[in-house]
Amino acid sequence: MPLETPARIVRALVSRGYNAEREAVTLIAGSDDPGVTLAQVVESVPDDALRITADHVRGVLASTPEADPPEVEPASGAPEKDPSVSPATPADQTEPVSETTPPEAKGSWSGRNTDPALRSLEIANDMTGQSTGTGEYDDFVKVFRDRYEKLSKMLRGRVNHRPAKAISKMSGGEDAELVGLVNDVRSTKSGHWIVELEDTTGTFPCLVMKDKDIAAYVDELLMDECIAVQGTLSGDAGILFVDSMHFPDVPRGHRPNTADRHVQAALISDVHVGSQEFMAEAWDRFADWLHTEEAANIEYLLIAGDMVEGVGVYPNQDEELDVVDIYDQYEAFSERLKSVPGDLDIVMIPGNHDAVRLAEPQPGFDDELRDIMSAHDATITSNPSMVTLEGVNILMYHGVSLDEVIAELPAEKASYDEPHKAMYQLLKKRHVAPQFGGHTRLAPEELDYLVMEQVPDIFHTGHVHKLGWGKYHNVLAVNSGCWQSQTDFQKSVNIDPDSGYAPIVDLDTLDMTVRKFS
Amino acid sequence: MREEDERYFARIEDRLDEAFELARAAKAQGHDPKTNVEIPVAKDMADRVENILGIDGVAERVRELEGQMSREEAALELVTDFVDGNVGDYDSREGKVEGAVRTAVALLTEGVVAAPIEGIDRVEILENDDGTEFVNVYYAGPIRSAGGTAQALSVLVADYARSLLGIDEYKARNDEAERYVEEINLYDKETGLQYSPKDKETRFIAENMPIMLDGEATGDEEVSGYRDLERVDTNSARGGMCLVMAEGIALKAPKIQRYTRQLDEVDWPWLQDLIDGTIGKDDGKDDAESADETDSDEGDEAESDVAADETSPDEPEGSVRVEPATKFLRDLIAGRPVFGHPSAPGGFRLRYGRARNHGFATAGVHPATMHIVDDFIATGTQIKTERPGKAGGVVPVDSIEGPTVRLANGDVRRIDDPEEAEELQNGVEKILDLGEYLVNFGEFVENNHPLAPASYVFEWWIQDFEATGANVQALRDDPTIDLEHPSVDDALSWATEFDAPLHPEYTYLWHDISVEQFDRLADAVAAGDIVAAEADGGTGVGVDADNEPEGGEQGTLVLEHTPGVRETLEHLLVAHRQTDDELRVPIWRPLARTLGLTDGRERTWTLDDLSDRAREWDAGDNAIEAVNEVAPFTVRERAPTRIGNRMGRPEKSERRDLSPAVHTLFPIGEAGGSQRDVGDAAREFGDSGKRGHVSVRVGKRKCPDCGAFGFKPKCEQCGGHTEPHYECDDCGTVVEPDESGRVYCERCEWDVESAEWQDIDLNTEYRNALESVGERESSFKILKGVKGLTSANKTPEPIEKGVLRAKHDVSSFKDGTVRYDMTDLPVTAVRPEELDVTADHFRELGYETDIDGDPLRFDDQLVELKVQDIVLSNGAARHMMQTANFVDDLLEQFYGLDRFYQMEERDDLIGELVFGMAPHTSAAVVGRVVGFTTAAVGYAHPYFHAAKRRNCDGDEDCVMLLMDGLLNFSKEFLPDKRGGQMDAPLVMSSRIDPSEIDDEAHNMDIVRQYPREFYEATLRMEDPDDWEDEVTIAEEYLGTDREYTGFDHTHDTTDIAAGPDLSAYKTLGSMMDKMDAQLFLARKLRAVDETDVAERVIEGHFLPDLIGNLRAFSRQETRCLDCGEKYRRMPLTGECRECGGRVNLTVHQGSVNKYMDVAIDVAEEFNCRDYTKQRLEVLEKSLESIFENDKNKQSGIADFM
Repeated sequence: MPLETPARIVRALVSRGYNAEREAVTLIAGSDDPGVTLAQVVESVPDDALRITADHVRGVLASTPEADPPEVEPASGAPEKDPSVSPATPADQTEPVSETTPPEAKGSWSGRNTDPALRSLEIANDMTGQSTGTGEYDDFVKVFRDRYEKLSKMLRGRVNHRPAKAISKMSGGEDAELVGLVNDVRSTKSGHWIVELEDTTGTFPCLVMKDKDIAAYVDELLMDECIAVQGTLSGDAGILFVDSMHFPDVPRGHRPNTADRHVQAALISDVHVGSQEFMAEAWDRFADWLHTEEAANIEYLLIAGDMVEGVGVYPNQDEELDVVDIYDQYEAFSERLKSVPGDLDIVMIPGNHDAVRLAEPQPGFDDELRDIMSAHDATITSNPSMVTLEGVNILMYHGVSLDEVIAELPAEKASYDEPHKAMYQLLKKRHVAPQFGGHTRLAPEELDYLVMEQVPDIFHTGHVHKLGWGKYHNVLAVNSGCWQSQTDFQKSVNIDPDSGYAPIVDLDTLDMTVRKFS
Repeated sequence: MREEDERYFARIEDRLDEAFELARAAKAQGHDPKTNVEIPVAKDMADRVENILGIDGVAERVRELEGQMSREEAALELVTDFVDGNVGDYDSREGKVEGAVRTAVALLTEGVVAAPIEGIDRVEILENDDGTEFVNVYYAGPIRSAGGTAQALSVLVADYARSLLGIDEYKARNDEAERYVEEINLYDKETGLQYSPKDKETRFIAENMPIMLDGEATGDEEVSGYRDLERVDTNSARGGMCLVMAEGIALKAPKIQRYTRQLDEVDWPWLQDLIDGTIGKDDGKDDAESADETDSDEGDEAESDVAADETSPDEPEGSVRVEPATKFLRDLIAGRPVFGHPSAPGGFRLRYGRARNHGFATAGVHPATMHIVDDFIATGTQIKTERPGKAGGVVPVDSIEGPTVRLANGDVRRIDDPEEAEELQNGVEKILDLGEYLVNFGEFVENNHPLAPASYVFEWWIQDFEATGANVQALRDDPTIDLEHPSVDDALSWATEFDAPLHPEYTYLWHDISVEQFDRLADAVAAGDIVAAEADGGTGVGVDADNEPEGGEQGTLVLEHTPGVRETLEHLLVAHRQTDDELRVPIWRPLARTLGLTDGRERTWTLDDLSDRAREWDAGDNAIEAVNEVAPFTVRERAPTRIGNRMGRPEKSERRDLSPAVHTLFPIGEAGGSQRDVGDAAREFGDSGKRGHVSVRVGKRKCPDCGAFGFKPKCEQCGGHTEPHYECDDCGTVVEPDESGRVYCERCEWDVESAEWQDIDLNTEYRNALESVGERESSFKILKGVKGLTSANKTPEPIEKGVLRAKHDVSSFKDGTVRYDMTDLPVTAVRPEELDVTADHFRELGYETDIDGDPLRFDDQLVELKVQDIVLSNGAARHMMQTANFVDDLLEQFYGLDRFYQMEERDDLIGELVFGMAPHTSAAVVGRVVGFTTAAVGYAHPYFHAAKRRNCDGDEDCVMLLMDGLLNFSKEFLPDKRGGQMDAPLVMSSRIDPSEIDDEAHNMDIVRQYPREFYEATLRMEDPDDWEDEVTIAEEYLGTDREYTGFDHTHDTTDIAAGPDLSAYKTLGSMMDKMDAQLFLARKLRAVDETDVAERVIEGHFLPDLIGNLRAFSRQETRCLDCGEKYRRMPLTGECRECGGRVNLTVHQGSVNKYMDVAIDVAEEFNCRDYTKQRLEVLEKSLESIFENDKNKQSGIADFM
């Protein structure tokens, strides 16, 4: 626990405007829950006091009811130990907290650390208001060129790229290396694979023999992702026999950034306010819980899209809406948002149900909707965006492309039950939505905002309404569940959503806990 | 059969023989794939069924059963034969079920369609989870052609066979049931279903169905949820299965129930729930929708029973009404207007009867109405209707009442004259009432729809009148009295002297006004003034000169103009004139008397005098009981049933051209450009570098006489007739087809084809062809060939045929025939005059008497049409003449034989034979041309249409000229794929046996008058089946001498082609024009809720268009503008990788947002709900976001102020 270190306690007290005796600090650090104790001490000291004394602390410790904090610790104690990448089901890891939180806990706790000096929140890659595309052919060419440029750069170190056009002029039998966007994948009569790669000079066919190890990679390929190959040209120099294949990928030795204090972020998505299936009670429990001491370290709330159920998302949607008016939906969402503590820093990106364009990248909400959702002065940014919280880079993306990854890739590589595995694929491709022309929609912009130029420390998505998390090359991939119970449509396609969960990440360790509120 | 019928058929068959003889001589020359005519004449249905199935003994058994029972019953009876092994040679239980199912489908489709062979793949016996066995029927796409009833009955037959064989029922696993739900939705989305069952319905059927329905994958799209199920082979949608379940079981539940009730072994009690529409009702969310469901078709039976239950003391009483049904409004199409919302006042008024051009899924509409609705309805236009069926073809009937309108000059009047309607069209401010809507009794029988309350009309009143002591015959004979349109004095005196209700002519729509309005009107009329009739009337205020006995001392009633009274008069449909201050009613005495006023217009009653019952009737919204309490005579409800409807498909009369049109089935590959111009191809230098050489895949043929090889049917060396030559590609073995026609190389274990790539000197072939028929290239504009052949042996057609087709501007269908499509409409009696022919022509055709048995002497005598006689639209006649000239040239210049038709003028077509053939069928019916019509439809006897398995609800099919079919059709040309045999005349019926046609036609009533009791029964909403004995339907005469004759009708009409020739839908230009006209009309029509129409147009047309295009935009292909090469994604080079040319988008901004502004305007103007407006708003923002540069927004002048 971070507050256990005296230095941090001192800093925390300073941030609230107090000095402290050494003994007082030791007493706080030695208490059952230093954070709570500190808060209570601060609450109880006389208004004119500038220095916290040991007596102050003793007084607080003596008055603290015995039974107060312990039971809010999850029975398993798992969150502290080793929660991340655990295959155990979320329910095993945590307890429903709301019933176990005594109401007085709220009252006896003074609130979370709101020191602006400690917090930091930066946004990169926000394209809201930066959309320069006008839907011309050239815009599309530009965005794919930008993609190629950014991703090929990551691969240039590993292969010695020669342009497709140059390769086509080489003579048979020579070795060649090429970086390109996957233009086509087809199988030959004899079961081998031809992967056509394209760079800015043209295309070149690359043959992957079915008996080679790398043939397994072909299954994972999506159109328009960028890969590098090494191999030998055929006798007639018409095709490249591939020996090895490289993906932009997250470097194996990636060392994630962490915050230098114990602070947590709650990662949620898919609230779907306005839907008849919106789980108001679960949400209220979540919001209430955020007010408790147990949630004291949660200073950031990230919402990865689908604030509301939207209008016209699917045919006859009005029949299934609880709130039919889109503006009323956002009002209702705003009301829901007001119930979470005002001292949280909130970041929101839009999703496919929100009233912004569906094509990606999606700009953040327009002014009209921002005005409605003005509660707590949330930060609104585009989908996707890189959000940096106290040094930790969190890539927020709503996750529409996950559907496609799951549909295209074999079940063991990506499935709805393990959405984080689909996210691993995106990390490996360093692009949130590689495939063009299929399920995912693309709005052409000058830059490809969908490329992961920087390796995130946390990759946060939603959309598929399934909870799943794990680490890929030390990057924590989290697909947060949703706040909507199973819809008729989901029933008809056999999707059982994970509703009412809030994944909580420790930004100092990137460990994760999941709280269940349904 | 009567002697004259024999003579009629003999005449047709003689002409047929004549044609056959000549065609055989032509075919024998060996220019065609076969040396004989390829359309055999089938003796009867049993023959067709047995031939199609290839199961011996079926024909005999079918003939045995035919006399005793209906075809459906025979199909079920045959199940026993199959199970017992009496018919068919099956050892396995699967085989027995399969045989029975196939036979049932063949029988129910009269051996006309390919569904029994191509639509059912196999039957399997599988195991349930509890270890019992069940039957699985495996359907394929072409089951579609069997139609819903046969599809549904095939399941019933399988179930019956299953129970006889002692096999258990299918117990669907939960995931299988859910799979059905997902899959049917998927199929509906991808392909579309006529009826889309609700999820609950599908689940319910799946859970109760005793047979597993399975099938071949038909689409690429896969289900996403319930995949990889153990007992379902595919993850794709199984089209055949979806059809059987949705359009068969779900849609035809009432029909299946008729047969399950007859069988002890089979019990499907769950059908009742399906019919009642109670499935899905218990769920709150679905309520809105299930209400719609419930209203559909038979659904309202249950509810109407409640409505009819007048004895309940607690419930406030009311008139019997059918429940409004909204289903017909679904999937409203932009540009096709709604004429009436469900059961809305002002909509069409149901009148019972059958006009001579009516029955068999048609709707009789007054021609004046057709004009008044801005010409959107023409003869043959399809309308989707609220009841009794789903759709009907419109026929003009002018013996019913026309529309009532309010004109810009303030006149409110009924228009019964089409010409007047046309003149006044632009002056119509409001269409207060659409007039009457004629539906025949048989339609209710066919749709198993309870009889809806009848309008009070002349044919009912006269029977009421006859039932009193009045001497009606004497009145009929009195030339001064018009019984149908009597004078006011006559009508009032008959009503008061005899115990008959007031004549319909003066019966207003009292049920459409409230008791309160009734009371106020009585006040207003009592307070009105009588002035002398104005001479300035000009337009006559809705009163024909001959029925206006008013005036004189009785004058015109002038009321103070108040909005309330005005509306009351309008809703009552009282003819009057509105000025700023006055409402002038010229015929007011019947009105005043009905209002309970004395002759001096004194009020004799107050509201308090009325009984509670009258005041509370239909919650006070219906004044009919009040009227009957105060009026001195009985007043009937004038129009208790209103029928909502909207435009479906427009009528059709067009030549059928493939796209692009094909003159000759000769392959030229890519040569000749996108037009496939044979002339160009012959001149071009191809890849080989030789002029006019093309490399195409054609069948290799060998001459049995001289052994020479070639691709033509006629040996170029010796003139012998060549045969396909099958040589194995791999081992070179020459193989012969086996008995089943399969060509299999035993050594290489594969099928061998005769087709191979051949280099053809097209230039020489083309020049030789021109020379052989003595034509020059200048005799036609262009000669179009095909890219490649799709038939099994890839046998090309002689180019000469194409040359002559091009010369006469006719084009070929895939099977070598020339076709013309027309909307089907029925007619049972015609006047030579209206068909633009003379009585002489008719006498030559063998018509001797008119419908009353009088000798046929005059052109305007009404004559009963013979069953195989058809009336061609003018366009069809022109096209048939062109075809006849082509055929004659072909005979003379190609085959060197005598000309057959020698056509000089259109009248030469009279008496000529044609083939009628419907899509999805494989049998043609011989018809005889008797006349022509200006309407864009093909009128023929309903039995002729039924023989092709069509009804007339807007369906269309084609005619071919007899000789063209005989000479040019060949099975060799048919595509070698599933469904390829459809829509090809594999067999022909030379004479129609009324027992062997689609039994829908038998439900047509054929009487001159419906009995009075029938009308009364409609008020009790009785089951139409109970009235079949009183109102004769055609079924009655089947198998008797009278089966070809005696099709009487209750209503005449002046001209079967009255009204506009073409629907405005076809004459208006752009989609926007059509939609504007649609919305404009919606505003004018009292029966239409224009907001709802606008909403539906936006939801059904604009939004899907916008959303679809936006989606398409963001994942579009691109194409090279120079070479046409397509790219899945924009090339990184930016330019075309093939030719370096300019590449561009395939979906542009312009096509994405073309409807955006209009949609927003319409939503605003028609005050659509916020949900719709917001959807548009969100889309508009999306468009802006994609197509506008944030940093360079178009700025308005406001930015600079």
